[in-house]
Amino acid sequence: MSTEAAVVHEPGKAREAFRAITRDVSSVAEAQKPHKLWLVALAIAVTAFLIGVYSVYVLVTTGIGVWGNHNMVDWAWDITNFVWWIGIGHAGTLISAVLYLTRQTWRVSINRAAEAMTIFAVMCAGLFPLLHTGRPWFAWWMLPLPNDMGSMWPQFRSPLMWDVFAVSTYLTVSILFWYMGMVPDLATFRDRCAMQGKKIRAIIYGVLSLGWRGSARHWHRYERAYLILAGLSTPLVFSVHSVVSFDFATSQLPGWHTTIFPPYFVAGAIFSGFAMVLTLLLPLRFLFNLQHIIKQEHIGAMCKIMLGTGMMVGIAYATEFFIAWYSGNPFELFAFRSRAFGPFWWAYFAMVSCNVLVPQFFWVKWVRNNNILIWVLCILINVGMWFERFVIIATSLARSFLPSAWAHYHPTRYDVGLFVGTIGMFVMFFLLFFRFLPVIAMSEVKGASPEAHAGGPATKGGHH
Amino acid sequence: MATEIETNGNGEGELYGLLAEFDTPGELVEAARKVHDAGITEFDCYSPFPVHGIDPAMGIKRTILPLIIFGGGFSGAMGGLALQWYCNAHAWTWNISGKPTWSIPANIPVAYECAILIAALTSFLGMWIFNKLPQVWHPFFRRDRFAHVTDDAFFIGIEARDRRFDQDKTTKLLQDAGAINVENVYLDPDPAKKQMPKWITAFIVASTAFALVPFAIAAKARNSKSTEPHIHIFPDMDYQPKYKSDQMMDVFADERANRGEIQGTVARGWLTTDDLFYRGLETSEAGAKWTTAFPKTYPDGRPFVVDMDLLQRGRNRFEIYCTPCHGYDGRGNGMIPERVKLTGGLWQARNLIEAPDKDGKGGVAVQMPNGQLFNTISNGYNTMMGYAAQIPHADRWAIVAYVRALQRAQNAAQTDIPADQQGSLR
Amino acid sequence: MSALTKSLHPDDKVKAGKLGSGMVKVGIGLAALFGILSIILGAVHGDNWKRFFYAYVIGWMFIVSIPIGMLWLVLLHHLVRGRWATAVRRLCECMTLAFPVVFIFGLPIIIALLAGYSDLYYWNHPDARNAALNPHMQHKLSAWLTPFWFAFRFVVYGAIYTGISMYFAKKSREQDDSGDPKISDRMRIASGPAMILYAFTTCALAFDVLMSIAPKWYSTIYGVGYWATSEVGAFSALALLVLWVQRNGRLVHSINEEHYHDIGKWNFSFTFFWAYTAFSQFMLQWYGNMPEETVWYKYRMFGEWQWVSIAILVGYWAFPFVFLMSRWTKRIVPSLVFFSVWQLAFHWLNLYWNAMPSYDWEVTYEGTQKLVQGPLMGSLAHHHVGLSAVDFTVWIALVGVLIAAIGRNLTGNLIPTKDPTLGMSLAHEQL
Repeated sequence: MSTEAAVVHEPGKAREAFRAITRDVSSVAEAQKPHKLWLVALAIAVTAFLIGVYSVYVLVTTGIGVWGNHNMVDWAWDITNFVWWIGIGHAGTLISAVLYLTRQTWRVSINRAAEAMTIFAVMCAGLFPLLHTGRPWFAWWMLPLPNDMGSMWPQFRSPLMWDVFAVSTYLTVSILFWYMGMVPDLATFRDRCAMQGKKIRAIIYGVLSLGWRGSARHWHRYERAYLILAGLSTPLVFSVHSVVSFDFATSQLPGWHTTIFPPYFVAGAIFSGFAMVLTLLLPLRFLFNLQHIIKQEHIGAMCKIMLGTGMMVGIAYATEFFIAWYSGNPFELFAFRSRAFGPFWWAYFAMVSCNVLVPQFFWVKWVRNNNILIWVLCILINVGMWFERFVIIATSLARSFLPSAWAHYHPTRYDVGLFVGTIGMFVMFFLLFFRFLPVIAMSEVKGASPEAHAGGPATKGGHH
Repeated sequence: MATEIETNGNGEGELYGLLAEFDTPGELVEAARKVHDAGITEFDCYSPFPVHGIDPAMGIKRTILPLIIFGGGFSGAMGGLALQWYCNAHAWTWNISGKPTWSIPANIPVAYECAILIAALTSFLGMWIFNKLPQVWHPFFRRDRFAHVTDDAFFIGIEARDRRFDQDKTTKLLQDAGAINVENVYLDPDPAKKQMPKWITAFIVASTAFALVPFAIAAKARNSKSTEPHIHIFPDMDYQPKYKSDQMMDVFADERANRGEIQGTVARGWLTTDDLFYRGLETSEAGAKWTTAFPKTYPDGRPFVVDMDLLQRGRNRFEIYCTPCHGYDGRGNGMIPERVKLTGGLWQARNLIEAPDKDGKGGVAVQMPNGQLFNTISNGYNTMMGYAAQIPHADRWAIVAYVRALQRAQNAAQTDIPADQQGSLR
Repeated sequence: MSALTKSLHPDDKVKAGKLGSGMVKVGIGLAALFGILSIILGAVHGDNWKRFFYAYVIGWMFIVSIPIGMLWLVLLHHLVRGRWATAVRRLCECMTLAFPVVFIFGLPIIIALLAGYSDLYYWNHPDARNAALNPHMQHKLSAWLTPFWFAFRFVVYGAIYTGISMYFAKKSREQDDSGDPKISDRMRIASGPAMILYAFTTCALAFDVLMSIAPKWYSTIYGVGYWATSEVGAFSALALLVLWVQRNGRLVHSINEEHYHDIGKWNFSFTFFWAYTAFSQFMLQWYGNMPEETVWYKYRMFGEWQWVSIAILVGYWAFPFVFLMSRWTKRIVPSLVFFSVWQLAFHWLNLYWNAMPSYDWEVTYEGTQKLVQGPLMGSLAHHHVGLSAVDFTVWIALVGVLIAAIGRNLTGNLIPTKDPTLGMSLAHEQL
C-alpha cells in the first residue's frame, strides 16, 4: 500500500506560500490610502443610499400612497425587491455552507465576500416588509411579546409571519457563521497591526478576534461547530426562500398557487445570488489583484452553477405552463397567457430572455474565460430575476379572477428611489467591508492549499 | 536544522512553559504525536489553520458539542410548537379562514426556523464557551515569534505544570522532534500585570450603565403623574380632520356641529311600522285596540314563540327593571315602597297579580289586555316612568309574558297543578 | 481537504466473474416464481385484473426509480468532477444499464392500454369522455392522455434513459482500456445536456405514469417529488449492492466506510429533500383549500389511509432522519444495511400511498345507467387500504426483474480501473 503526497515541498517554501496569502489579503485592508476607484464607487453608493433615505422619509411621513401600489396590485415593487434581495443573499450561504459540505475547496477564495454579501442583501431585503406595513413603528407587534391588548398574539398560521421568523433566523445565522469564520482572520489582522505598531487597530481587532491563538484544541471544536453551522445553514437556505415562496403559493391566485414554487424559488435565488457575487467580485478582483486567489476556474465553476440553476428555473417555467394547461383550470391558463401577451408582456419577455437564454452563453468555454462578458451577463441575469418576481406578482394581481377588478400599475419615483437606495446601501456596506475586514478567508485558503500537507510522512528525512 | 534555546532574561517571573516552532504542518503533527506519546497532557499545538491529522496525533477526544446542538435544535422545535399552540390555540383562539386553531401543517415553518435558530445559537455560543474564549490574553503572546502563529508559523506549547515536564528533557524532546526554535516562556513578574487593566473594567461598567439608561427612562415614563397629554411621536390618525357630535362649528349660526335629526327621515332600524309588535295595537278599519294576544312574528320574520326561553328572558328582565317597585312576586312591595315606609310614607306600586274581587274591584293588571300592559311598560303610568328607552321591544313582550305567568301562578286552582305534582301539596 | 491519492490494491478483486450471472439467476427465479403467483392472484381477485395492474404500476415505478436515481449520480459525478464516488461509479452504471429491460417490462401496462383496458387509468375509461361528468378533463383526453400518445411518450422516455445510460457506461468502460483522460472530458461535456434531458424525462414520466392515475388532480412539484423518492431508493439499493459485491469478495480493499458514509449522507439528504417536497405539496394544497386539489389529500388524511400517511411520516422521514444524522449509523455495515432495507420498503410504501387510494372508483347508477365517476370520489368508507397479497407478489416479481437486469450488466471490471480520479476516491476520507 503506497501513500503519495500530492505535492512535495521543501521546508521553508511552504511558509512562504502562507505568508503570501496573508500579505495579499491583508494588504487590501492595510493600504494607507484607499484606492481611487474605491472612493469613487463609495461616493456613488452613498449618493444612491441617500436617495433611498429620502424616499424612506417621504414614505414614513406621508404613507404608502406615495408608492404605486393600489387596491388590486397591492404588492408590486416592494415585494419584488424583497424577494430579489433575499434571493441574492442565498448564494452566499450556498457558497459557504453547501459547497463546504460537498467538499468543493475552491469555495475558500470567495466564501468570505459571499457571506458578507448575504448579510448586506438580507438587511436590504428586510427593509421592504418592514416599510410596506405602512406603520413600521408598530413592527414589534409581529413579535410574540405580552401586551396590553389582551395579550394579542401574532397569527402564526400566516406565511407573512413565517417570513418574519425565517428572515430573522437567516440574518442571525448568517451573521454568526460569517463572524465565526472571520475570527481567525481578525486574529491575523490583530497580530499584523500589533507588529506594525498600529495600536488602536490592534486593540479593536484584538477584541473582535476574542483572543484567538490558533490552538489545535480550539480548532477541533471550531471545525465541528463550523461543520454543523454549515449543515444547519443548508436546510435554512432552502427553508427561507421556500417560506418566501409560500407567501404566494398558499394563496389561491392563478399563477401563484402552485406546488413547485418552493424548490423553484430556491433554484432562482441561487441563480441570481451567484450572478450578484460575480457582479461584485469581478471588478474587485481586478482592482485588488486577487487573480491568483480567485482563480479563473473558480469563476468558470460559478458560471456553470448559474447555467444549472438557470435550467432548473427554465424547467419550472415549462412545468408550470404544462400543468396550467393539464389542470383544465381556465383561470390558471389565462394567467399564463396574460403573462406572455397581457399588459406586462415586455417584462415577461425580459424575464425569459435573461433567465433562460442568457445563461446558455455559459456553455461556451470562451465565454467562461471572458470576465467582462461574464460581468455583463450576470447583470442581465439579475435584471431577469427581478423581472421574474415582478411578473409573478404584478400579472397575477393585475389580471385576477374578475375582469372588473383588473387594474393598471405604474411605479412612482419613491418606489424607484427606495430600490436605488437599497442598491446603494448594499454596495456601500460591501465596499466598507472590503476596506476594513478580511475579504478572503485566509485561514481556509491556507488550509486548502497544497502546502497545508507539506512536511507530511513522504518528506520525512528531507530536513535536519 | 539548527535549533536555538533562548536563555531567560533577568527579572522574569515564573516559568509558564516551552514554546517550540516548526516549519511545516507535517512536522508539527509528528512532533505532536511524539509529545503525546511521551505522556504529556498539558500541551497544545498552534497553527494558522486546522492541520489535517493533528487531532488523533494529540489524542484530542471528539467534542460532545454536536449532541448539545442536537438538544438545542430539538428544544427549539418543541419550543416553537409550544409557542404557537399557546398563542393561537390556547390563549386567544381566532378562526382564520377556517383553519383549525391548532394547525400543524401551518405551524411547521415557524417551528422549523426556531429549531435552526436555537441550534445555531447553541453551536456558536457553545463552541466559544467550550473553548473558553474570549480570552484576549495568553502568556504565549509575550513572545514575538508567536505573533506569526496567525500567519505562517506552527508551534507546540507545553505548560510547565504538566506532571512529566522537565525543562531540559522536554526541551530535548522538542528539538529531537524537529523544532527550529525552542524558547522558555515566563510570566510577567509584576503581579499587577496579571489583572485586567483598570480602564477596561471602568469602560465595561460605564457602558453597561449607559446602556441601561433608555430602559430606566422607559420604566419611569410608565408611571408618570404628569397631567400633560402623551407625547405623540407618530400621531397616526389620532387627530383627524373631522367633527365629532358635541363640538363647536362656526359655519352655522348656532355654532353646533350636531345638526339634529333630519326632517322626514327615519334612522335605520327605527322604522317601526308594525303596530302590533312595536305598540301592542291591533289595527283595522274599525280602529285600533289593544291586543289580547302576542305578536305573531318578530320584525325580522322569525316567529314569535311563547316558550320557556321567552319566559326566562322575561323573568330576567322583570327582575332587573320591575322588581324595585313591584317586588319579586309582583304584589307591589318592592324595595322602593319599603324605603318609602322607612321615611314614614306609604306608597305601593300596582299589585300585578291580584285577581279582581267579587265586586269587580282591583285586578287591573290581570284584566288589562297584553297590548295595554306592553304600553304601560313602554310609556309608563302615573308615577311609573316609561321604560321605552331602556327595554327593547322584544324584551318588553317577554316581560308581559312573564307577568302573565306570575298572574297565572298566583291565581291558579288546584286543578291547574299537573297531575304528577299534585302530591307535593301540603 | 485531502489531495491524497491511493492506487488500486494489487490483491483486490475487481472483476465480476460469475457474480453477475448469479444475480441474474436469483432475479429470474424471483420473477418467475412471484410472477406466476401474481398472475394467479390477479386473476382470482375478481376485479378484472384491476388490483394486479395497480400493483404492477406501483411495482414498476419502484423498479424504474432505482436506475433513475443512479443515473443522476453518474451524471452529477461527471458534471462537477466528483471524486469520492469514482470507486462505486461502475456499480451505479451497471444499475442504470437496467433501463432497457425495465422498460420492456413496463410494456404490459402499455399493451393493456392500447388494447383498451379501462380499469387502470380512468382517462382510458369511456365514462371519462362524458363531458357532463368531467367537464375539465376533456381537453387533455384527446391531446395528451390517449393510449397512443401515452405509449409514444413511454417509448421516448425509455429511449432517452437507455441512450444516456449506455453512452456513459460505454465511455466509462472504454476508459478502462486506455485510461485516456480525454474520455473523462467528453463525459463531462455530455453530462450537462444529459442532465437537462434527464430532468425533463423524469418529471414527464412521473406525470404520465403515476400522476395521471388521478387524472383530475395535479401538482407541479410531483415530478420533483418522484425524483426525490427515487434517489432515496437508489442510494439504499446502491448501499446494498456495494455491500453484497464486497461480501462476495470483490472490491474489498477499494470501498470502505468512508464511501458508505457518503452513500448514507446522500440517503439522509434525499430523505430530507423528499420530506421537503412532500410537505410543500401537502401544505400548499391544504392551505389553499381548493377542492380540486384537496380531494387527493382528503382520502389520505381521513379514513383508513390516514394510518398509512402517519406511517410514512414517521417511518420514511422522522425515524431515518433522526438516526441517519449521526456519523456511526452510516459507517457501520449492519446499521447501513438496516436503514437501506428500511428506506427501500418505505420508498415502496410511498409509491403505494401515491397510487392505491385511487383504486376504489366511485360508481353511481341513474336508473339502470351505470356511471363510473372515477377515482377519489365518494364516501371515505369506500376507500380501503386493503393490503392484498398480489400487491406484494407483483412487487417482488418486478424486483426480481430488476435484479436480473442489473446482474446482466455486472460483468468485467466492477470499478473504473483507469479513471484519473480513482486514486482520490480510494483515498477518500470524511472531514
